[in-house]
Amino acid sequence: MPRAKSVARKKLVSEPLLDVHEIQGNILAGFNKDHQRLVGLRIRGVAEARKWLARILPHVSSLAEVYQFNALFRLRRSRLGRDPVCLVASWMNIAFSRDGLAQLTSDSDAAALPDAAFQIGLTKDRADLLGDPTPGGETDPTARWVIGGTNHPVDILMILASDDKTRLDSLVVQLRPAPMDGLSAPEIIWEEQGETRTDLPGHEHFGFKDGVSQPGVRGLISRRPRIYLTPRLLKAPGTGEIAFAKPGQPLIWPGQFVLGYPFGDRDGAMQPAPPLGRAWFKNGSFLVFRRLEQNVAGFSAFLKAEADRLSKTAGFPGISAEHLGALFVGRWPSGAPVSRTPGGDNPDLAADSLSNNDFLFTEDTPPPVFLPGVGVTAGTFPRAMEGSKGPVCPHAAHIFKVNPRDSATNLGPDFDTLTRRILRRGIPFGTPLTSLEDDGASRGLHFLSYQASIVDQFEILQQNWANNTGAPTSGGNDLIIGQTKTAARTMDLPSLVPSQGGEKISAPVEWVKPTGGGYFFAPSIGAIRGVLAVG
Amino acid sequence: MPLAITVTSRATPLSPPNGASRLSKDFDDGVAGANAKLVAHGGGTCQFYNPVTHGLTGADVTPASAGEITWNGFPRKFLGTAPGGAADFAGAEPTLTSGHSRNQDEYLEWHVTRNGSGKITSVEFTCEGYDYYEFLGREAADILLGLYQKFISPAVRHADLFTGAQYQKLNRWNTADGAMHLTQQANNLFAEVILAAEATVRRRDAVGREVTAAIPLTKCSQFGDARRNSDPTIGSGVNGFARQGRMITLANPVGLYIDHLDDAGFRLPGDLPVDGWFQILRGTPAHTLRAVFAPPRGAAFTVSDVTIGGIPIKFGGQIAQNITMRLTGVASVANNVQNTPIPCEGAGGAVHTAIAVAASRLPTRGAS
Repeated sequence: MPRAKSVARKKLVSEPLLDVHEIQGNILAGFNKDHQRLVGLRIRGVAEARKWLARILPHVSSLAEVYQFNALFRLRRSRLGRDPVCLVASWMNIAFSRDGLAQLTSDSDAAALPDAAFQIGLTKDRADLLGDPTPGGETDPTARWVIGGTNHPVDILMILASDDKTRLDSLVVQLRPAPMDGLSAPEIIWEEQGETRTDLPGHEHFGFKDGVSQPGVRGLISRRPRIYLTPRLLKAPGTGEIAFAKPGQPLIWPGQFVLGYPFGDRDGAMQPAPPLGRAWFKNGSFLVFRRLEQNVAGFSAFLKAEADRLSKTAGFPGISAEHLGALFVGRWPSGAPVSRTPGGDNPDLAADSLSNNDFLFTEDTPPPVFLPGVGVTAGTFPRAMEGSKGPVCPHAAHIFKVNPRDSATNLGPDFDTLTRRILRRGIPFGTPLTSLEDDGASRGLHFLSYQASIVDQFEILQQNWANNTGAPTSGGNDLIIGQTKTAARTMDLPSLVPSQGGEKISAPVEWVKPTGGGYFFAPSIGAIRGVLAVG
Repeated sequence: MPLAITVTSRATPLSPPNGASRLSKDFDDGVAGANAKLVAHGGGTCQFYNPVTHGLTGADVTPASAGEITWNGFPRKFLGTAPGGAADFAGAEPTLTSGHSRNQDEYLEWHVTRNGSGKITSVEFTCEGYDYYEFLGREAADILLGLYQKFISPAVRHADLFTGAQYQKLNRWNTADGAMHLTQQANNLFAEVILAAEATVRRRDAVGREVTAAIPLTKCSQFGDARRNSDPTIGSGVNGFARQGRMITLANPVGLYIDHLDDAGFRLPGDLPVDGWFQILRGTPAHTLRAVFAPPRGAAFTVSDVTIGGIPIKFGGQIAQNITMRLTGVASVANNVQNTPIPCEGAGGAVHTAIAVAASRLPTRGAS
């Protein structure tokens, strides 16, 4: 019937076609490389900066390129049963601070970008808001940063990545400003290499698998054939419920990560793209960079001492340091969620991408209902049964604090939580610590996240939730990344024995310390070509 | 041992038995309302109880799990919609005149005082329900007047607050010239008790699945306003306890409280901190009913000189955005009660919230 056909067609085109040749590739697809170099630049001469930009423009990797390579990589890996080592790609993306953009365009152009935090920049005021410490008693938390902040402002941040370290080195040499770009070409003020851990691939330095949970971004790579950026494996939910691409991966409208697209509001309704102050803002995204140094020895020592103490209590008999760490994080070192395997780690669960993120915090998690014909099945691991038992995963566990899932929060319902999600693209830096003693080396995480609003997304997660004992729900601070200036951080730990009371953990020391960073805007490739590189 | 209920404003010299009796009746009304809904659908055990009269003994009444439910004090409806969209701070605190309530609906209201230059000199916050003050107006007018004179202005007179014997909650000292207590219609203590009571009732949707998510549950149960930070969060938290089979009541002393102000990022010129600027005026640190953000005596700055994350304060709402509110529920050990979820109220159309019902049942004889 024509009417039904019309309705069906309307539903099919409801997600926007993404400008795959305009959006930088790391934003929505993610480089996912084992080797990644960050290069911080200062603009010295605007003309030379533009000239250099024009030179490197063809090397700015697009969503189309990165998406297609990642798809090929997955395809090869599924056939080989391991990573295809011969399949190598090298990418580069670029982002600009507010000052950097103002120099290359105009102050009024830069001022029209819609984010208050970006406008101010990650200097002392915003660092203070984030609760960043002042170890030397300074008033400026960024005073001792090695990059960014008040003393080392960055105008341009390059992200270069490759599957092959040697090729990455070549790419860096090829693309960073060089004498041929002129004496006043942008100055390299800092660069640092990030590396996937060879001993524990995908794990951060505390030893936990990182990056397991990423939102699924809506939008089409192409209309014909119809290819979604995020493959759909699950049946559509009922009215008023959150839609998921695969178990544990909610679908979020692209306007929450890239400017110029529809977004979901706090009640879950799709809203049209908001108007932009400049046409060239479209397809751009705000980038947060934080150089987070990790005190691995201190963290391990605290876990051991605190586990020793707790293990003698009635509520936590025999608890190990690894178990306590899992409660701090909400996942075991392998990445297996505490909610699904509360008694111990389960590497098989961690390795099952259809199961390792499939859990709720407030409710008993129902089994996934896959679309007919997708040809996948999730492992038969125990379901998360939070709703029947009370909290299994502590509400101050890191993964709860930054993504409370189905739990209502201080800011509203689960739909509001979707508006806080970010796309994380971090990678460890420094060599892993191989002993229990601190070796004095600098190691940690190059935290990188993309979002449409730094204020409403990244800063809410850090300031309003991780740092706050009473939010997103009551339960204490995030002991992994939470920061407080006035008191020791605390965490309410539910008892492991149902009839016993819980414990309040007090952590006087912060093991993750910001030592650099900045707020940036990653413009579209067309904006670099047509605006930034030409003035 | 049953808990004793004391009135929210226990710091006042008001005779507790009177206030406690009134509040106990609120609990009884809540139990009756929740019970009626269960009975209408085949019965069950009401999971909300009045701790004064319930008479439960043993483990069932042990406060094995105290659940703090928190929410942000700035009204959600004034937030920007799009990512990075600015909040409508001006809309949240328009110039108010007598007879008009504030449109601040997160159980936190505030009054901004400015000097002749338009600079903010203080922002006073309150979270006390108006029903308590109406109760005072009927039972202890002198105490009511004393509170206004202490916290708002010594110039307040009885005639400013009353028309005859009737307390006018929207008098000038609680609207244009101050904020003694909450004014928004839904911001009352009775509504809080009713909301908690009705949220203990488990619900199912049209196809028989239990309703658990905050917004669908709020709409299904019609126990509050789904557009607020507070109501869905409170209802969802309480209902979560109910689904675990617990008996539930509200912690003593019953009330909604200012949990804390997060002043990270608050700075004065010269990078000075705002130590001492946020003061509790009424209540205790654990149960804060009234607070002010203002320069300490002798300070050279005004509130307008303070920046939050580098952004100057122009509205009281910017401070409210950093205030966490709190309600504490008390729940018994789990798996004591296994009620069958009942259908939603009505057929998902007309807004008929328990709070509106509660408000209509209050003895609101004040100006409207």
